[in-house]
Amino acid sequence: MTTALAPARPAAGAGRATFAALAARETRRFALNPVFLAAAGLTAYILWSGQRGTVTDINGPNTAAAVLFGGVGMLVAFWLTRSMSASEPVVGVTPVTLPVRTAALCAVALVPFACGCLTLLAFLHFYPIGDPVYGAFSPPARIAVLVGQIVVPSLGGPLLGVALGRWVRFPGAAFVLFLLLSGWVILVMALTLARPDSAPVAVLRLSAPFALFTLHLDAGVTAWRGSPWFFLGWQLALCAIAVLVALLRGVEGRLRSRIIRALGIAGAAAVILLLLAGTGGFTHAVTT
Amino acid sequence: MPTASISLRDVGRTFGATRALAGVGLDLKPGVTGLLGPNGAGKTTLLRLLATALPPSQGQVSVLGLDPQVPAERTGIRRQLGYQPQEVGFPRGFTAFAFVDYIALLKEWTEPAARHAEVRRVLGLVGLSHLGAKRIRAMSGGQRRRVALAQALLGSPPVLILDEPTTGVDPEQRVVLRAVLAEIARTSVVVLSTHQTEDVAALCERVIVLDRGRVRYDGPVTDLTAQAAGRVWLADQPDPAASVSWRTGTGRYRNVGTRVRDGVEHVEPSLEDAYLLLRGGAAEDEPAEEVTS
Repeated sequence: MTTALAPARPAAGAGRATFAALAARETRRFALNPVFLAAAGLTAYILWSGQRGTVTDINGPNTAAAVLFGGVGMLVAFWLTRSMSASEPVVGVTPVTLPVRTAALCAVALVPFACGCLTLLAFLHFYPIGDPVYGAFSPPARIAVLVGQIVVPSLGGPLLGVALGRWVRFPGAAFVLFLLLSGWVILVMALTLARPDSAPVAVLRLSAPFALFTLHLDAGVTAWRGSPWFFLGWQLALCAIAVLVALLRGVEGRLRSRIIRALGIAGAAAVILLLLAGTGGFTHAVTT
Repeated sequence: MPTASISLRDVGRTFGATRALAGVGLDLKPGVTGLLGPNGAGKTTLLRLLATALPPSQGQVSVLGLDPQVPAERTGIRRQLGYQPQEVGFPRGFTAFAFVDYIALLKEWTEPAARHAEVRRVLGLVGLSHLGAKRIRAMSGGQRRRVALAQALLGSPPVLILDEPTTGVDPEQRVVLRAVLAEIARTSVVVLSTHQTEDVAALCERVIVLDRGRVRYDGPVTDLTAQAAGRVWLADQPDPAASVSWRTGTGRYRNVGTRVRDGVEHVEPSLEDAYLLLRGGAAEDEPAEEVTS
């Protein structure tokens, strides 16, 4: 036996360093996932190919970014979260607790978030903010629309994937949720087309984590009712809820009580913001 | 001299109406302690309690003077613990090095160079230096067991809990692993569960026999073996008076029992003989005990 048996042990209390190293490790695993890389490549291609033609509708590229960074990001984050579940008998007795591991997993959402930010900048480069394709919204509201359609879904999708992975064992859970959310978005869109001026329908439309604000028809671009700013708030509240639900798994003691209290506050804020989003902004559809 | 120790006082554990452990009291010091018992005797439950993976239903557990029921102290225990469970699943696509490196990170080895050196060291201890880059899913069962053991050895922990560490491992590697564990046990509390009595005989100073969740024997291996002296004999036929008999490689029958007739050919007992004698020759798994109160 030539191998040494007395290594230098790590110092106890290295909590922050461990979290940072673990978050970096998980982020790298996420960023190098072939499915996510393919999604990022496809988004770039869609943006690049879209800017070559005459753009008449912002919804196409926006939806693609949300689906590919948010939706695919959710799938990848779910897989990543579940990936160590088979090793839980070993992983579960390490000094790093489950909530810390969950927090490190939540950090992977920074990757698609950064991709979303870059996509937003590219989008603004290709389709300047003064372009008529944005409809009747003011320039700041147009930015809010884009952030709510590109950047925040890119952040929220993976967070939802982590929360789902912490609580649901079914391997296809993320895909089922992806289909359900897509179905919900399509359903409320159909309702909006039928009743564009209805406030309850606007609330329903904006209750989806991804929502459209404009529609291009031959008559022009129609901006629907609803406040893009409060919608952003609603989306961010959903992100906070996803993080808190994910962290709730395996937490004990006082921290558990705090998380439950924070969940209550985030839930109440989310409901208020959704109502404000549905009733704020234009009071009826405006076509320009 | 280190004083790493574990103590259990009247520890019990139930799963619904099934009592897996009852009234277990133990003090464990540095050295290798073997845990023997039939399937369902409570060995894995006891090891999971010691590894802080499971809280006791009753009684008190203390590991290195810390209480695993208190979250902060439980983390303190886990910083000084190596645990190889009976069943370990591995994430898809991980190599042996990547998996042990990931566990090392979770054991707070944050400095990459030191962590990588430690991962290489433990893979070397279990004879997997040359297979670090191989995907675990492509490995044999014995190699996977050694990967699981390697992660438990990270940092040469003061407390090492091993659930059937040598199952599926080839004889040469078992000898190597015995040497590794014997070296670690000079300063660490090593508790291992196994069905291989030869591992216990070769490695452990102390053996605990569990029977229906209770400690049936706790003492030196040599004392348990000595209990079978004069109760093991060879014969040309299975002896009806024996508790258990089996045909050996020579074609003769080895008999173990307490009712020994005069004139039989006595042989040197092994730990396995003593264990079978203690068990009364029962070949069945232990039925789980129902909680009646």
